[in-house]
Amino acid sequence: MYISSEFLHYGAIATSIGISSVSVGLGQGMISWSALNAINRQPAAQDDVMRVAIIGMTLVETVAILGLLISIFLLVYTTLDPHACFSHYAKIGIIAAMGITSFVTGLASAFPAQAACNAVARQPFFTHRISGFMLMTQVLIQTPLISSFLVSLFIQGQADSATTLTDSLRLIASGMCVGIGSIGPAIGLSIFSKAALNSLGKNSKAYNKLLSFTFISEALIETPIIFCLIIAIILLFMIPHTSTDNPISGIIFLAAGLCSGLGTLGTGISSGATAAAACTQIGLAPESYNILSRTSLLAQSLIETVVLYTVILSLLMILFR
Amino acid sequence: MNGAEIIETPQWSFGSLIGHPDNPLFNINSEIVIHTWIIMLLLAIMLASVKFLLHHTAMGRFILIRFVSFFIDLTKQSLGFFVFSHCVFASSLFIFIALCNTASLIPWLDEPTRDLNTTLALGIISFFYIQSVSIQVRGIGSYIKDFFQPFFIMLPLNIIGKLSSIVSISFRLFGNIFGGAIITKLYFGVIHGSLILELFGLFSGINFLIIAFFTLFEGLLQAFVFAMLTLTYLSIGTQEGGGH
Repeated sequence: MYISSEFLHYGAIATSIGISSVSVGLGQGMISWSALNAINRQPAAQDDVMRVAIIGMTLVETVAILGLLISIFLLVYTTLDPHACFSHYAKIGIIAAMGITSFVTGLASAFPAQAACNAVARQPFFTHRISGFMLMTQVLIQTPLISSFLVSLFIQGQADSATTLTDSLRLIASGMCVGIGSIGPAIGLSIFSKAALNSLGKNSKAYNKLLSFTFISEALIETPIIFCLIIAIILLFMIPHTSTDNPISGIIFLAAGLCSGLGTLGTGISSGATAAAACTQIGLAPESYNILSRTSLLAQSLIETVVLYTVILSLLMILFR
Repeated sequence: MNGAEIIETPQWSFGSLIGHPDNPLFNINSEIVIHTWIIMLLLAIMLASVKFLLHHTAMGRFILIRFVSFFIDLTKQSLGFFVFSHCVFASSLFIFIALCNTASLIPWLDEPTRDLNTTLALGIISFFYIQSVSIQVRGIGSYIKDFFQPFFIMLPLNIIGKLSSIVSISFRLFGNIFGGAIITKLYFGVIHGSLILELFGLFSGINFLIIAFFTLFEGLLQAFVFAMLTLTYLSIGTQEGGGH
């Protein structure tokens, strides 16, 4: 099948803004749905619920803004040369990185805002703390988007100098690594922050304990994304440039990127679910915080060794190709 | 937008003195080493000032007591009991890493933890501390027997599982700080040179937000996570029959 290079170029532009705006639309719809539900349950807290919902929607909208920025960069800073097909194949990397990540993070950062609306309806006198907590979790959920934004910018910067199939496969691999790698941790983060805000709504006295537990757990759940970012940056910058075309090493790059990307999938979700269960229990029984947090951290650090195996394997693949 | 110059670090090469000019083993990242020594000097000055000056004021004493009691609580919480040497080890790791991570706030200084060698060294230090404590507490026989659990064939997997704690703890720190450093360098590289963009970034608070999140917040959080994970691994290692 013949794919024209213009198709890929404009396809990357359309995917970046299109998918991010679809996910932002869905996320904002979910937030307003649960805000209306919360107002229905507690009409006296109407102002507080509205304020929290609007803060949440504004933060979800940063996903669309980053997608728009990438689209504008692609549209303005590219000289369209129909003969340079390899530099356009590299745009598949941008499609994977921005498309997947913006879809997942846009939906995932809506969940804590939904839970925050319900929590405010339960405890209207605690709105200030709940909105601060929600803001922090949403910002932490959107860090994978920042990493894939960076990788997309780097791919765009290197796409013009890609003259062989190996180069374009390398750029696609780095984009796929970040894109697929952000699915699992983003889902895990959304599960965890939803549970944390729910338990904050049920028991506001556990605020201090939940806050410190949230900081450390979200840092642990997010670690697989960082490993993927390292692999992507190694693929982007640490490979010595060769002018001879060798598609086998390009396929090895693709396999390495997919390996570390897919490795984070189960780890992120299960790590998030573990921390979420611990968070629910802390909300129910804050006095047994020590044993709960110790068990949860232990389980999470054991779960995360699996990611290390995939990361080490992909490093070995890149080094001994 | 080509970020290759961010990753390269200036190096001293001692290889030509010994006769191996191309051997990367004899290269030292000069910037990182000098900056680590400057940070250690700062740490020494801070310690001296706390010991001789701030100790006598009410405010200094208050901060000191809060800091120490925070780490005593942390040790109790993650180990289940209080051990003085573990608390001192974790808190000194925290202070050093926190200073290293936020070093880019000081002009002409970069984060030494941006380099993988620094974080690997820290990870190896904590690994050997944990293993020696584990041997001391449980005895050498019980320690070695743990490698053959549940079957004899699991020996290589158990060894890899033990060693992977070094990689996990040090790559986590390195990746976070490195990513943050790249993002801040890229941002300031973009706004550098255009007066309008620089003024906009300065007065709209975007500069401050980026520095506050990626340097202060992320740096302190990662230092805390490093200390906390060391304590968690300690609690696994000292328990009877604890797996990896």
